[in-house]
Amino acid sequence: MIVETKSSPDAARLVTPTMLVLWLVLATVPLWITRIGLYPYLGIEILIWSLYALAFNLVLGTAGLPSFGHGAYFGIGAYAFGLCQLEIVANLWICLIAAAAVAGLAGVLVALFISHRRGIYYAFMTIAFGQIFWTLAIKSHRITGGEDGLLKIKRLPADFGLVSFDLTDNVAFYYFVLAVFAVGTAALWRLVNSPYGRVVAAIRQSEVRASHLGYNVWLYKVAVFALSAAVSGFAGGLFAMAQLAAFPDVMSLHQSGYVVMMTLVGGGLVSFWGPVIGVFLFLTARDVIGALTNAWMLYFGLLFIAIVLFRPEGIAGAISAAVQQHSLGALRQRSTSAMRLLFGSGR
Amino acid sequence: MFDLLPHLLNGLTLGLLFALIALGFMLIVGLMEQINLAHGSLFALGAYVAMQLTGPRPPLPMELAKAWLALPLGWRYAATLIIAPVIVSLVGMLIELCMRRTYGKDPLYGLLLTFGAAMVIEEMIRLVWGTRDYVLQVPSAINGGFLFGDLIWSTYRFYAAGIAAGVIGMVWLLIEKTSFGATVKAGAHDSEIVRALGINLSRLRLLVFVFGTMLAAIAGIIVAPIWGIRPHMGVDAVIPAFLVIVLGGVGSFWGAVVAGLLVGLCVGLAGAYASEWSLLSMYILLVAVVTFRARGLWGKKSVLEA
Repeated sequence: MIVETKSSPDAARLVTPTMLVLWLVLATVPLWITRIGLYPYLGIEILIWSLYALAFNLVLGTAGLPSFGHGAYFGIGAYAFGLCQLEIVANLWICLIAAAAVAGLAGVLVALFISHRRGIYYAFMTIAFGQIFWTLAIKSHRITGGEDGLLKIKRLPADFGLVSFDLTDNVAFYYFVLAVFAVGTAALWRLVNSPYGRVVAAIRQSEVRASHLGYNVWLYKVAVFALSAAVSGFAGGLFAMAQLAAFPDVMSLHQSGYVVMMTLVGGGLVSFWGPVIGVFLFLTARDVIGALTNAWMLYFGLLFIAIVLFRPEGIAGAISAAVQQHSLGALRQRSTSAMRLLFGSGR
Repeated sequence: MFDLLPHLLNGLTLGLLFALIALGFMLIVGLMEQINLAHGSLFALGAYVAMQLTGPRPPLPMELAKAWLALPLGWRYAATLIIAPVIVSLVGMLIELCMRRTYGKDPLYGLLLTFGAAMVIEEMIRLVWGTRDYVLQVPSAINGGFLFGDLIWSTYRFYAAGIAAGVIGMVWLLIEKTSFGATVKAGAHDSEIVRALGINLSRLRLLVFVFGTMLAAIAGIIVAPIWGIRPHMGVDAVIPAFLVIVLGGVGSFWGAVVAGLLVGLCVGLAGAYASEWSLLSMYILLVAVVTFRARGLWGKKSVLEA
């Protein structure tokens, strides 16, 4: 849609070096996060929202479809997780699968209505459906608890048959979420770099061209939206566990806008890792600037405007440009010194 | 049938208000092919500025403030209807100057820029006025209610609907019947030719944006006594505005007006029978229409679809 992406040299790998380094760094977080005045819960939030933003970027960045009501699927996942736990069966795996399945189903339903649309009409249909789900969540007091939220959600133990881990502690839960995040990022990386992901990226560049090549564009659009909704719902289930409750506010237009912001600020349009950078920046800024002033959204809003105006490819884009420039500069320096050597020898 | 009449009337007045709210948004979408998500915040800003101007403590030097307060409320209100939009339009001007950088790029950038602007304006409002609710004072002539056929009708609603109809008519005249409107439309259609004819397109776009901003502020002032003034009113306005435009179809003036009336009727009737779900009804209306009509009711092809 906006910027061409080059295929990474790591496209064929299951686990890339970046991924490994990121996982390792993240694994050390609980060791030092309290020393710098933050707390492990922030780490949990960042991981869950990163997974959500990565899922969202499947639609926005990979497929180039402007979805502005994605909070709905995150919220539906959270409710599905809670309701499955409270009403059906209190098993972590079943509840997480239920969260992804219900959100994915909602995604399929919406995608059926919107996948033959493009641009502004697509964007607004996603907003409309987002608002519909949000209103339903607020008004159905008996099922969702309305604005008070669905309370008393527990962090179920992670049962692996032989061993079972208790996740009530924030550090233990952090490691569980990190493990899920690791699997999730590897899976999404595979997906984006699979033949399927290539076709979706081709659709972003030109729907007409993709359909003339014989691909069923409509079906691909439905599938990518549903997949993204399912992973968002899965992240929502984790979020319900983190918060010990499910609230309707993540489904509101504001919060759906935030995930768009995070993804773009980070550079989701040019980089797979952009959404993660954006989430990290957004949530850390919320806590750090938010501790100093109530109007932290004001400053983040100004930063967002500056990024849209001057670095529309986001932070990831800025970083890669800086790296390129740096290596270009180094190259130039090397060539000038080589020239000097040549001239020197010539004299 | 007679029971239904008040609800229908209520829906129609509401519909005119929705059309008024959407008007500035429509102007900018239709003539500049830019989505101004800050529309709602500018709408709220208009209401806040008007409240401050007509309230007991206008932001003026001592002497001037005294003279201003000595005027009857009616005059102050009428003056505010002009002054407040002018003040708000300065903010709009600033947004347009920033937005220039995004012209010719993907329309997503303009949308995101104005989303950021909306956030900033809303936070500014919270900083200056806090989160409490305010009331906009209106002259007693248009306040209160009257009896008609055993029912009490709010005078203000009819006044507001009248103003809305008047403003809609004026905007239509401006776009369709003046050379300004013709130039602007031509600029949206083929900017290169318009530039080649020696017309300063950047100034023209700035004017359109300022005009759209003023319409947002006027809508804010008119709607404020009905909705109340609070920071969230911007979001409450921009979603229906967006909805009305998409339902009516991008680029269609009467499409937007008819869509506004439809949405008003829909919300009004739903409010009468299932008030809990009245807001849901407009989204369902939109989904029902756009599922079958790709470009809303009378939309034209635009770059926003790409």
